Amino acid sequence: MNVTHDTNNRTTTIHAIGRLDFEAAGAFQKDLEQAVADAAAGGHALVLDCAGLEYVSSAGLRVFLVGARAAKASSVPFAVYSLTAAVKEVFDVSGFGRIIDVLADRAGALEKVGRSA
Amino acid sequence: MSVAQTTVGADAAALAPLQSFLSDFWSREQIPDSVRFPFELALEEIFINVVMHGSDDRHDAVWMEVTLRHEGSWLDMVLRDNGNAFDPLAAPPPDLDAPMEDRPIGGLGIHLIRTLMDEVMYASVNGCNELTLRKRLDDASAH
Repeated sequence: MNVTHDTNNRTTTIHAIGRLDFEAAGAFQKDLEQAVADAAAGGHALVLDCAGLEYVSSAGLRVFLVGARAAKASSVPFAVYSLTAAVKEVFDVSGFGRIIDVLADRAGALEKVGRSA
Repeated sequence: MSVAQTTVGADAAALAPLQSFLSDFWSREQIPDSVRFPFELALEEIFINVVMHGSDDRHDAVWMEVTLRHEGSWLDMVLRDNGNAFDPLAAPPPDLDAPMEDRPIGGLGIHLIRTLMDEVMYASVNGCNELTLRKRLDDASAH
């Protein structure tokens, strides 16, 4: 799994690419927690681009939950977008779509976190 | 009918080789992408469960055998392990409506497997756990 991030217009975007499985979950959790801490310090919103995320297991879902909780605790606006079919299926089946803001595309995610142009 | 089988020790480091084992079979049998995912997920969930909870302190002695079978329009995977007896189908379903703060972390793997597979059967055979997961290839278009 590959994780990159960039910050524009007071919004940090994390691009998650590859497979979020048990092996990848630990490192991704650290990345996400760091991003939440940085966003909180800078007063930024945080959006997670999942267009390149091919696979997620329950170990990966757990990281989404940890990230969403950390964002909420730090008052960082947080949304995920562009889920692939497999990842969307996992979100739907697990009910995570009801506890994390999941948007179809980047424009929707930016609007959700209050950063629409 | 095509069959492939491999056996690994209950060590999380064996997850990557298991994933490769599945990928090779998918390529060889030209399994559609949409059907691959539920099997990859199920294998990870059950294998990691055996690693974390099925072996106590005897990791060296615990193994999992994975058998893939492609026959007609059915794809089957049989996961057999000699870890602690565990019937995943007896586990209660998670509370999917719990608010984020109350949500227990984890415990979703079995629910995902039961939902994404067409058939899931558990048997305890000669002291081993044996989980059979089946999915019809024809259903691919529905997902």
